[in-house]
Amino acid sequence: MRFILTFALAVPLLSQTVEDCHKHDHFGRRAEAKQCYEKLTASTNNAARAEGLWGLRQFKDANAAFRLAVAAAPKNANYRVRWGRLLLEGFNPKDASDLFQEALEIDPKNAQATLGLALVASDGFDSKAVELANKALELDPKLTEAQELLASLALEDNTPEKAIAEAEKALKMSPESLDAMAILGTIDLLRDKKSTPWFDGILKINPVYGEGYAVAGKFFVLNRRYVEGIEYYRKALALSPDDNASRAQLGVNLMRLGFEKEGRDQLVNCFEAGYRNALVTNSLTLMDSYKNFLTFKTENTIVKVHKKEAELIQPFVEAELKRAIATYEKKYKMKLTGPVQVEVYPDHEDFAVRTMGMPGLGALGVTFGNVVAMDSPSGRKPGTFHWASTLWHELSHVYVLSATNHRVPRWFTEGLAVHEETATAPDWGDRLDPEAIRAIKEKKLLPIATLDRGFIRPTYPTQVVVSYFQAGRICDYIAKTWSYDKLLDMMHDFAQNISTAEVVEKELGMKPEEFDKKFIAWLEAQTKTTVEGFDDWKKKIRLLAESAKTGPPEVVIKAGLLIRDVYPDYVETGSVYEFLYEAYMKKDDKPNAMAQLEKYSSVGGRSSVLIKKLATLQEEAGKKKEAAASLERLNYIYPFDEELHRRLGSLWLEQGNTKGAVAEFAAVIASKPLDQASSRFNLARALKSDNRIDDAKEQLLLALEAAPGYKPAQHLLLEMSGK
Amino acid sequence: MGCGLRLAFPLLLLSALGAHATTFCVTIAGLGGEPDYEQRFATWAKEIDQTLKAGGADIKSVTLAGPDATRARLRTALEAFAKEAKQQDSLVLMMIGHGSFDNVDYKINLPGPDVSATELATLLDRVPVGRQLVVNMTSASGGSLHALQKPNRTVITATKTGSEKNATVFARYWVEALRDSAADTDKNEVITALEAYKYAELKTKQFYETQKRLSTEHAALDGGDQSGPLLAARFSLLRIGSIQNAAKDPAKQALLAKREELEAQIDQLKFQKAATPLDEYKKRLSALLLDLARTQAELDK
Repeated sequence: MRFILTFALAVPLLSQTVEDCHKHDHFGRRAEAKQCYEKLTASTNNAARAEGLWGLRQFKDANAAFRLAVAAAPKNANYRVRWGRLLLEGFNPKDASDLFQEALEIDPKNAQATLGLALVASDGFDSKAVELANKALELDPKLTEAQELLASLALEDNTPEKAIAEAEKALKMSPESLDAMAILGTIDLLRDKKSTPWFDGILKINPVYGEGYAVAGKFFVLNRRYVEGIEYYRKALALSPDDNASRAQLGVNLMRLGFEKEGRDQLVNCFEAGYRNALVTNSLTLMDSYKNFLTFKTENTIVKVHKKEAELIQPFVEAELKRAIATYEKKYKMKLTGPVQVEVYPDHEDFAVRTMGMPGLGALGVTFGNVVAMDSPSGRKPGTFHWASTLWHELSHVYVLSATNHRVPRWFTEGLAVHEETATAPDWGDRLDPEAIRAIKEKKLLPIATLDRGFIRPTYPTQVVVSYFQAGRICDYIAKTWSYDKLLDMMHDFAQNISTAEVVEKELGMKPEEFDKKFIAWLEAQTKTTVEGFDDWKKKIRLLAESAKTGPPEVVIKAGLLIRDVYPDYVETGSVYEFLYEAYMKKDDKPNAMAQLEKYSSVGGRSSVLIKKLATLQEEAGKKKEAAASLERLNYIYPFDEELHRRLGSLWLEQGNTKGAVAEFAAVIASKPLDQASSRFNLARALKSDNRIDDAKEQLLLALEAAPGYKPAQHLLLEMSGK
Repeated sequence: MGCGLRLAFPLLLLSALGAHATTFCVTIAGLGGEPDYEQRFATWAKEIDQTLKAGGADIKSVTLAGPDATRARLRTALEAFAKEAKQQDSLVLMMIGHGSFDNVDYKINLPGPDVSATELATLLDRVPVGRQLVVNMTSASGGSLHALQKPNRTVITATKTGSEKNATVFARYWVEALRDSAADTDKNEVITALEAYKYAELKTKQFYETQKRLSTEHAALDGGDQSGPLLAARFSLLRIGSIQNAAKDPAKQALLAKREELEAQIDQLKFQKAATPLDEYKKRLSALLLDLARTQAELDK
């Protein structure tokens, strides 16, 4: 109910009527409000008519009426503001923002227009929202809606004390501020208080104000407490069944938790009622595509994969999921109550629908309760995505959210998940990237007590990524300086709804400020060489790239070795390792070429091309075990590679790893190779070695069916037939 | 490859092996325009040349790359083959480089004057072989299809039309097909034009999918008449095994005849697969395959 008393300024002649309509709304007198709006629609004043139509939810006609009003009075800033608010409600923030800007050009001190911009920024989790809301209040100290917005923004930033103060200010400005009361009630609920007076207070003023519970729903979802979020959206709808914004949120969150049937029904209801924003339409489109997915269930896992790649990817995902569950059960000392569902999307846009409207969530995977949604490696360029690392990261969230009953700050759950990636294998996880180097150098890392803000309302474009890095390193630091169990103790403290500052003090025995100092000192010592040498390294690697094109290999080697260890984590395209490898190969110095790629791989290099080259060199050098290990890394990065599976299968078979060989050759078949005969023959060989004779015979038959004259298969047939 | 084709294929292959025929090959790598392409085109042409020369004494190959890849030299090579070739022989022309199409005619970019598809067609028409294969792997090569179409001539192009003008990767995978035994999908130790085409087409498609790039080339194959890819399926590009040795040994003719008979029976059974109960199909197929394997073992002794 943000627009109460705002239109009085816009249309003075009709202000009494518009204000009356808004008052009816504010007090929940729906029939009277409807009647009032209907009267307005008969007005000859286009702006008043627009308000009437808007009140009756006739957005299209209201939009047309505002257009006429603005055309007739182009210098009226308030008409533009109200039109902008209509568009903002109608999912068109861009045009709304333009109208607010136009209003400010006409009237630079228009508080409503400034508030409009603050609301647009708030919807996009833009850090400018706070600044704009404060500015609106400066322009109009009685603008309660701006004060309510500040309370909401403070709670989004996970600073409840500040949110309480802001909400109390709003209540001083207007004791009947329903949204301020909703914020205060939500804080009580988030703190697990058994009762809160605020929602009863709201209902005394407006018995049908479901939007109050919708506020609670929103914050529970933002805090990843989806089950409770759903509960409050249901309460909101019970009071206000026409509130399609709440219905859409209910549908989406049901979908997120795997309740597809009800989720879909709710979203269809929204769609049919004309509520068709991107969240609703994209979610419905995604759910329509579920028919193309196959579901594989075991006792503790549910894997949902697109049928076009199911045969290949499902065995890898399921095996890794089970391995991760077994590991985390020991590490977190707990068992999950139900199976974990992992959904793998080959189309990134489908995955992205899952995170719509959620700030600071990973771009590769996301966890909702026991449901993990993630990109498929097929959806990304080879070498750009470590799917297994993402899976372990997300699964860590499942455990941490379950252990804390979803009462955990964002920085901790992300930090622990990042920590787990490299704990699983040192070459997993993300490397120290230029954004993090810059943040360390420019002292942009956030204090631990307010690190959540870096995820939710970043103040610079890469702050979310930097915050992931920082949170991960904080957990590394705690595990190293204290112990891994200390992290678990902190996790259990968070479950008691204790703040970060209190947890740091309790478990680490120091104030957060002191922790920050120690952590930063530790981090700076760890990254000193790279941070200090980064600018020089950037210049020199450009020169190295030029030299690598035409220069003699000796020059490249000398220059490369000088800078390689200044920034050893740089393993992207055009890394020093790559230049050194090529230079050594030009000199036919294979041992040194191999050594460069071995370092590249151990540091976390992910290029399929380079790692396959490494495996070739290792094979040539007789290091078959190492070659297999190199290729096996690629299974976790880009398994959609027939050659990879063929080579690894052969190596495993040679080394007596028959089960590994069977899995790899089965993956070759799943890749739908052109050469069916040799692929099936290889699988038959592996199955035979694994003593699966009947399966081997079946594959051999398929090989010879494709190519009856295939001699190696004929030899095996004769051998297996005892002839 | 349809079922009918599978039935016919082994016979056709053996009859082709029985006759003493020569395959005349011309490979031309046109102008690269920049060093990277120059080097790439010349390397591919060289690799094709090496592969063909290692493929058997029945292949006569001319490779034109760099400054040698001129219109005059191409004409000379084809005119020389025209004088030497006979009806039982085959001709293969492989073209690598950049092409252009002006909605009327296609041209391959060469040092000096370019050569148009129309002119190429005239030169090819003069070579009196029974079968021809043109593999035009340049950009815009689809624009040459119309001019080159002719009965008994298979035309493979890297692009479907003349409007696909970006540099192609098809040539890279065509070269790979000639070296990779995986291209020989029926494992008869012969890589046919159709097998090489399918290999290169699939790898090209996978290249664009993997790199997450919009595909700017779509390969095409024109069989030259109503038989579709039949001519390409019969066109032996490269022998990669010792199959021809057995054919030359009179003592093994009976075994060869038996093998041929068994292969025909297997093809017949596969043709009836849908109408045969699965267990029975497997039983009969296993027996035939075992017999075939024993026969082959005898042949290989």
